[in-house]
Amino acid sequence: MEQSTRSATDSLAFKDVTACYNDAKDRASQEAEMRDKNKAKEIQFKASHALLIFFFLWIFLLHAIGIYFFTNGFLLTRLVLDHKSNCKSPPIELGQQSPASFADGCWHPKTFDKAVIIIIDALRYDFTIPFSGEPHHFHNALTVLDETARQIPEKAFLLPFIADPPTTTLQRLKGLTTGTLPTFIDAGSNFAGTVIEEDNLVAQLRDAGKTLVHLGDDTWHSLFPGYFDANLTHAYDSFNVWDLHTVDNGVTEHLLPLLKPENSTKWDIIFGHYLGVDHAGHRYGPDHSATNAKLREMDTVLREVIASLDEKTLLVVMGDHGMDVKGDHGGESDDEIEAALWMYSNKGVFGRGHNGFMVPPATAKDRPVGQIDLVPTLSLLLGMPIPFNNLGAPIAEAFIGPGKPDWQNVATVNALAAAQISNYQCEYSQARGLNEDVFSLPQAFWKDGLQSWREGLKSGRHSDRFRPAFESFSKHQKETLKICRSLWARFDIPSMLEGIAILICAVVVLGTYARSSRPNTLELIPVYLAQMTIFGTICAALFSAITLLVFGSGLVNAALLGLAAGGISGFTYASVNLLQSFTLPFPRSLWGWLGVVLTLSQSIGFASNSYTIWEDEILLCFLSTFASIAFASSMRQELFIERILGMFQAGIFLVLTRLASLSRLCREEQMPYCRSTYYASSTSSTSAPWQLLIPLVSATLLPTVIKIYYQPTRSYQGSATFWNGFAARLGLLASAIYWGLDAADDNEWLAVDKGILQTIKIVIARLILGVSLVVGTTMFVWSKPCISIQVTPEVNTSANGDVDPKPKSMKVFGYANVHGTRYFLLVINWLMAIVLLQKPMGAGAIGILAVQILALLEIVDTNNLSQSAIGPVVLGLLGSFHFFKTGHQATLSSIQWESAFVALKTIRYPWSPLLVVLNTYGAQILTTIAVPLIALWKQPLKKPRLLGDVAKALATLLLYYAVINLATTMWAGWLRRHLMLYRIFSPRFMTGAAVLLTVDLIGILVVIGSLRWNFASIAEVFGWN
Amino acid sequence: MTETTTQAKPRKLIPISQSISVLPTDTARIYNYIHPILILSLYYLYFPSLVADPVSTLKNSIAPLAHLQIIYCIVCLPPSKGSSTQSTPSTTPKKVVQFAKPAAKPPATLASRIIPAILSLLLSLSLSAPLLTVILILFGAPLTTHFWHNLLCATHISLLGVLPLFYVHGVDGRIWREISGACLPFDEVWGGVVGVVVGAWLGAVPIPLDWDREWQKWPITIVTGAYLGWFVFRFAGEYLLRGKRIEFD
Repeated sequence: MEQSTRSATDSLAFKDVTACYNDAKDRASQEAEMRDKNKAKEIQFKASHALLIFFFLWIFLLHAIGIYFFTNGFLLTRLVLDHKSNCKSPPIELGQQSPASFADGCWHPKTFDKAVIIIIDALRYDFTIPFSGEPHHFHNALTVLDETARQIPEKAFLLPFIADPPTTTLQRLKGLTTGTLPTFIDAGSNFAGTVIEEDNLVAQLRDAGKTLVHLGDDTWHSLFPGYFDANLTHAYDSFNVWDLHTVDNGVTEHLLPLLKPENSTKWDIIFGHYLGVDHAGHRYGPDHSATNAKLREMDTVLREVIASLDEKTLLVVMGDHGMDVKGDHGGESDDEIEAALWMYSNKGVFGRGHNGFMVPPATAKDRPVGQIDLVPTLSLLLGMPIPFNNLGAPIAEAFIGPGKPDWQNVATVNALAAAQISNYQCEYSQARGLNEDVFSLPQAFWKDGLQSWREGLKSGRHSDRFRPAFESFSKHQKETLKICRSLWARFDIPSMLEGIAILICAVVVLGTYARSSRPNTLELIPVYLAQMTIFGTICAALFSAITLLVFGSGLVNAALLGLAAGGISGFTYASVNLLQSFTLPFPRSLWGWLGVVLTLSQSIGFASNSYTIWEDEILLCFLSTFASIAFASSMRQELFIERILGMFQAGIFLVLTRLASLSRLCREEQMPYCRSTYYASSTSSTSAPWQLLIPLVSATLLPTVIKIYYQPTRSYQGSATFWNGFAARLGLLASAIYWGLDAADDNEWLAVDKGILQTIKIVIARLILGVSLVVGTTMFVWSKPCISIQVTPEVNTSANGDVDPKPKSMKVFGYANVHGTRYFLLVINWLMAIVLLQKPMGAGAIGILAVQILALLEIVDTNNLSQSAIGPVVLGLLGSFHFFKTGHQATLSSIQWESAFVALKTIRYPWSPLLVVLNTYGAQILTTIAVPLIALWKQPLKKPRLLGDVAKALATLLLYYAVINLATTMWAGWLRRHLMLYRIFSPRFMTGAAVLLTVDLIGILVVIGSLRWNFASIAEVFGWN
Repeated sequence: MTETTTQAKPRKLIPISQSISVLPTDTARIYNYIHPILILSLYYLYFPSLVADPVSTLKNSIAPLAHLQIIYCIVCLPPSKGSSTQSTPSTTPKKVVQFAKPAAKPPATLASRIIPAILSLLLSLSLSAPLLTVILILFGAPLTTHFWHNLLCATHISLLGVLPLFYVHGVDGRIWREISGACLPFDEVWGGVVGVVVGAWLGAVPIPLDWDREWQKWPITIVTGAYLGWFVFRFAGEYLLRGKRIEFD
């Protein structure tokens, strides 16, 4: 066996194999012996390969169980019920007439026919009440609300209006129209879209045949698409924070004419959404003259609206949330949740006095109402049924009437709301399988209320007698709300800790396996596997048995927990037994430390919202640091040619990293220090025409560049010429054409029917995916190594004139990189598929990624780093970096859902989600598939324990992602009360978890799976190692 | 690292550079301590105006910095003999064991120290400053804006770290190969270079934080990091790490 076939200059592109046999008999026995040996080695390889799959499956299992337990405790979920409230069937018959018609009111006689509902985004309560001390800019500017509520209390009231966090406009609008609490994920709703599917006030109004008009913030249209009258509605972009006036001027300009008497029949409900105050807050902060000017402008507008209001119309003005001292919002601080609510009507039906507050409260702490209370209030005032999922209570001021308190009316509306909440409770408990006594306390209040109601009726309808009923119903609502809030908004700390503990152990397991310095980790796999499986099974059985006996439920969780705990104990047990030949997995070189430091500093950074926001720039700096050190290291090569090669590759890596960094999709929080380049403009999600050139350039250059990396070892042979030179070129070109057609479709450049164009596009896309993943995989399984064997038949003529036809000498071209060049074909396959699913800019980024991978492989080879942790870690960093460069961010909103339609007309499972995954995590998938190359590239053919090296490299890459996932998980759990939880930490945790599970699966299914064919194909030519 | 290293050929460059020492005069020894304090005081003095107006402050402080550095070189450091006197050593290091400078002696004439100092200044302004600008951009400095910020930041780094390097080591190809391989032994000059690089790298750390401080502006933290790193590492290089080389493997 040749121990070292590496020549110093890597010039050993071919190898002389000279066969020399003494005589035929000897040869026959030798061949038979070799065949047997070969067979034995083949079996050995296949066995260790299969065991490897199971080992990594265990790792995946640990990760999945850890993430499952954490998620269970962390992500607040609420089941959305699809039930709708019906006008004809009130939830309770109260012994009095329910008109049950839209004309008079559904459950309760209606007070108003029409309504103008104005939302002043970020209208904090203290903006609206008078301030006597040293005023800030936001004080005493918007005075009309307080003034009217004081002077004409029967016509207007002003109350603090408390928002449920997260205080973002989208989530608030959901709360304001459905009357229920927002959660991070509404299980059951369409995850992709933001459309509200559950019962809500806007849908009820539309179904009642009302003409709805919307003016302002276009968030309404993503929530209620097609609900509004197309002619009268005017929507404006909501994210243009720097523009204070366009939206507001637009709303005012269209609102005032509609209020004129001649237009009064054209509409029933107007929703006006002003953004100026919010934008002024974001841009300047509340204590700034711009905010003052905005509030004054609102004051003027509202006075004009009041002046043109008729008797039948209700005017509602409210803030959807407040703002913090910097003018931002999203979290749950007092300043952010304390908005204002003001109602006005010329009819004079409002009252006070049921709780002693005759004038607007001085602070938002006194007499606050919840934002969810708006839904039942508006529903009953306008004669609508209360939406089914509502948890709010009618606001007493709107129903108690002027003068003497009308307790009967207040009790009636509260009874209706309580009955509807009771129905909801019942349905929710059933759907979720909740225990009956969860809602026992509110049920008791409900019964009390009914009892008091009946007593009130008996007392001859004396209004005061209904007060106890009102109080009981009110308690019922508050108690239910409290329970629901705790059901949906409670973090289950033990479950989160279990998840984190499992994830920590999984990191230790992976780290021990990947970085312990044992020369042959492959031999350990059977021991590990046996112990993990035995312990795992026993613990799972034990845990579930105990749980079953003690608690009687929660079997699945107990079994999973037992499985994880057992697997970890099994691994520990096996490791302790093997301790004598074991060293701690600490790095022993600057390179190893670099890998550790980069991974850990990135992980620590996730504790800060700033470093999470700027992760893309940090990764750029890290990758540049690696390239610079690689450059310096290459300068230390003694041989000129190696030095130049290393310098050149490091330089390419450095420049390409910076080039790729030009592709950016900024997240909201990066503004104004970031300019998006991924699409034509920061407000569009289509590509600019010049960007269509990027995939074209990529298609032209990339196969050539790959060829250049094959050529120094004379490996551009066999399958490589066809697959890279032809199939990849054609595939990449086809995706360039696809995106050209896509742009033509968007911009209507071609006079072709849209349907035909779409069909053509889908055919092209499916062809590419078919060729890259189906044909490509088949090709990869069958392909010969990228070598060519040149046989020189040195025709010897022996003494008796016989010609010896045996070849005496043969040259193997491509010998120096047999493993690497063949395996890279797999990378090319996936490259084609991933490029297709990226937007044109992303195709460029993925192309750059492919070249960077090749440059990294050369750097790893010239610096002799194939065993170091740095190679896989840099691949991991590259994967994370290009995740951002392909137009993604760690936010839900940056997921490119439309990629599901690249190859499909409609959503189809499981294909649509797979396409989205391939689009979202394309960079991480590609780098994972490339990771065996760290251990294989330019390594000697017969290098011992090559499979073990590959497994270690893969484990190291998974370790990188596992550490990142662990860090984001821990920080998300630790910072669960942080203001930025929903905007930053939670999405980053979800991204990290999704990446880890994806990468685990790709590692098992694609990487380890493909290795078998790679080794088998090479062994077919050269014999098993 | 691994078993593969054992079979790898000794194909690494064997460094021949040696640590340099401050000139053996009393003035040199004393000024060697005063100089870092002077530089840091200069920086401290300029800091408020640096935060207020980075470009003009960085520009205005080039001349004082350059003067101080030149004076330091002339007073304290042994000048390079120039590359013309030394033939590039062959690749086998055994023959060039004696290549390193003999025990430093103060050169006879002042001119023989002033001229290399001026040359070093020119080189660090014209050669290494633009190169460092490119490197800053590669590490993520703004590409289309902030041109002067980048160039001036690079100039400061260059004057601080690279100028003495030119003065001490000249433009000898072999030495510069070792410098780009980062395998010089630590002394006050090389320590300064490493300090500038490490400091500037760490200087990027506070930039993303949302503290809304004026001093977080590009490139104030980078320059600050470079100065502080230079100060710390030039002493570390002189005493703690003296003679040690950075090992990668």
